[in-house]
Amino acid sequence: MLTFQLLALAGLLAGLYGIYIRYIETKRRALPADNSPLKGNPSHGIAYAFTKGMMPWAKESTRLHMIAYLRGIGFHIGIFTSIGALLISPFWRNLPPLLSSTLIWALTIGALLGAAGGLMRIIEHNLRGLSLPDDYFAVWLVTVWMAVSAVAVWNEAWMPAYYVLSAITLAYIPLGKIRHCLYFFFSRTFFGKFFGRRAVFPHPESMK
Amino acid sequence: MSEAKLFLDFKGLLCPMPVVKLAQAIKQIQIGEMLEAVATDPGVMADIPAWTRTTGNELVTLEKREDKTIRFVVKRAK
Amino acid sequence: MTETIQLALKTLEAQLNQPLETALEACARCGLCAEACHYYRAEPKVEHIPAFRAEQLRSVYRYEHDFLSRLFPVWTGAKKLDEPMLANLTEIAFSQCTLCRRCTVNCPLGVDTPLMMRAIRAMATASGTAPEILVMLADAAIEKGKDPSFYKEMFLEQIKEMEEQLRDVTGDENATIPVEKQGAKILYVPLAGAHTILPPAVVFNAAKEDWTLSIFEASNYGVFLADVNRAKQVAKRIVDEANRLGVKEIVIAECGHAYASYRWDVPNWFAGQFDFKVRSLIEVLGDYIREGKIKVDPTAIPEGVTYHDSCNLARNGGLIEEPRYVLKNVAQDFREMTPNKDEAICCGGGGGLVALAEYAERRIAAGKPKADQIKQTGAKVVVAACENCRLQIGDINEHYNLNVKTTAITDLVVRAMRLPKPLPGHEAEYLFEGEGAAIARE
Repeated sequence: MLTFQLLALAGLLAGLYGIYIRYIETKRRALPADNSPLKGNPSHGIAYAFTKGMMPWAKESTRLHMIAYLRGIGFHIGIFTSIGALLISPFWRNLPPLLSSTLIWALTIGALLGAAGGLMRIIEHNLRGLSLPDDYFAVWLVTVWMAVSAVAVWNEAWMPAYYVLSAITLAYIPLGKIRHCLYFFFSRTFFGKFFGRRAVFPHPESMK
Repeated sequence: MSEAKLFLDFKGLLCPMPVVKLAQAIKQIQIGEMLEAVATDPGVMADIPAWTRTTGNELVTLEKREDKTIRFVVKRAK
Repeated sequence: MTETIQLALKTLEAQLNQPLETALEACARCGLCAEACHYYRAEPKVEHIPAFRAEQLRSVYRYEHDFLSRLFPVWTGAKKLDEPMLANLTEIAFSQCTLCRRCTVNCPLGVDTPLMMRAIRAMATASGTAPEILVMLADAAIEKGKDPSFYKEMFLEQIKEMEEQLRDVTGDENATIPVEKQGAKILYVPLAGAHTILPPAVVFNAAKEDWTLSIFEASNYGVFLADVNRAKQVAKRIVDEANRLGVKEIVIAECGHAYASYRWDVPNWFAGQFDFKVRSLIEVLGDYIREGKIKVDPTAIPEGVTYHDSCNLARNGGLIEEPRYVLKNVAQDFREMTPNKDEAICCGGGGGLVALAEYAERRIAAGKPKADQIKQTGAKVVVAACENCRLQIGDINEHYNLNVKTTAITDLVVRAMRLPKPLPGHEAEYLFEGEGAAIARE
């Protein structure tokens, strides 16, 4: 088992290193200074971008596609749960039964939400038109990983398969579309700075 | 009367539309030929000479008439 | 690789800063941005989804920069840029995106698709494939800045005539349109044409403002080309004029892209030479009303009035409540469009589209969602504080039989000031009620 655990650890480190390299490469690029006189507050804009601005009712798009958005949020919560679960995987057998079954359910729900997203990419015309092989691979890879995580928490026999899959998934993060997990933070920060400076978000009059 | 091959009515058009329309219309005449236009937006008094200077075409006349319309003649040079 | 492609790629590289790389990397292709775009709303197809458009540039970026894409280009849709692709990118950026940023605010990740469209525009401009007319208009503006003498005399003559009209409509023999007034507080920068000079002149005179008129126009076609070099040269004319006259602030006419660029971009382009404030005329009108410097009759405009938020003024400029404050003071029956403010739908005329005759049909088709919004308000007057928006709303008014009148905020304010005589071209709007007239002059 130690070999498989080390493999998963290697995958985790490769993924983290890859993301770190992407982070360094992007940070090395120029960041244009904005010295235009403030109307609003960029810091408030950034705070908004990561909090109220992410609420399902904050945007027309998420109001229109509330279920799809909540599915995506649930899927991503599942992914972070999976990563957390991996870190404590050597102690899974020592978890209290309630916590263990909660973890199984959380990972199963995450996997089901991932599968729904994967199917939507195949079925829905717009999503199919937008999708690249990388998109299909990434969503199914993560979905299967979550599903196998759930099974492995339940049944120890799945642990080797789980660790191999963990290694592949984590190592793939910086290579393909999953690296948007890093750029999410850059993107929402720039969004907040831009709209915060202009007092568009948060908008002082409407208190959105 | 000018010897223009093309007559254009830009009355009521606001800048930059007279320049936009002029740039399109000039392609309809041959090099050496002229077009004549009438506009009402005073912006053309600056925009048309600037356009001819940058495009290398020749502004033959630009005048404000009694009725407050602005008449200009451009000769295609390029 | 042709020289055109080399130039295009070099321009992409030169622009590749943190925000652009982020925009190129962050998209999860979830498709939630689809309905945010007025092109998609008007004609729902995959090609009209902002993410799809952005993907066309991403494929080029990935080919140049992504490890996996170099090994397996098909996996990530990476493609080597060639001339047909550049032509396609150019067409997308100039004819299918007005840079309104509605997709950005609707994106869960906040992906700045217009930033990528600007990058494409810059690539097209540098490689000589951008729409010729935008280049011509930018170059003509630069030419005016190099040597204003070739039109200045005619310009001053025009202003003299306008001054006579000003005195006639206001009944104020001392009303003036000062030009190049040294030490004036405000440098007002109009658009080309009397319609953005005379109404503000009425207001400035009534408010007894210390102002002077710029000899240049506010519009900047270099901005639409995403050509910072050209855009700076166009802006420099006004920055230099403001510095030369020693004004305290520049006030920009009702123009979306001019306000957004002078307020938010130009201070960065001219860091250190930019000691004056930049405000929109809308903000100044609001202050005059608030401070009682001009008197407006709130009953002067009884018909239903709605306001179209220019994307450059509202979502990209932060002028959201200011126009509403003015309009609520002059219009009895003000009606909001739905959605509005930061969620307002683009009219389809932004990004320089109104100057591109070759895309007129596409532009008017993309104006359908705005036409529907206008219809739903039942308003008879559509106010837009942007010239491009007004031109577009005028076109969609005709095309979709909206039967509305399009006007600027200043025109309504002047109407509410109840001058002794109407402004030229506005005669039909005025109801002269004898003693009600000219209260603004009191």
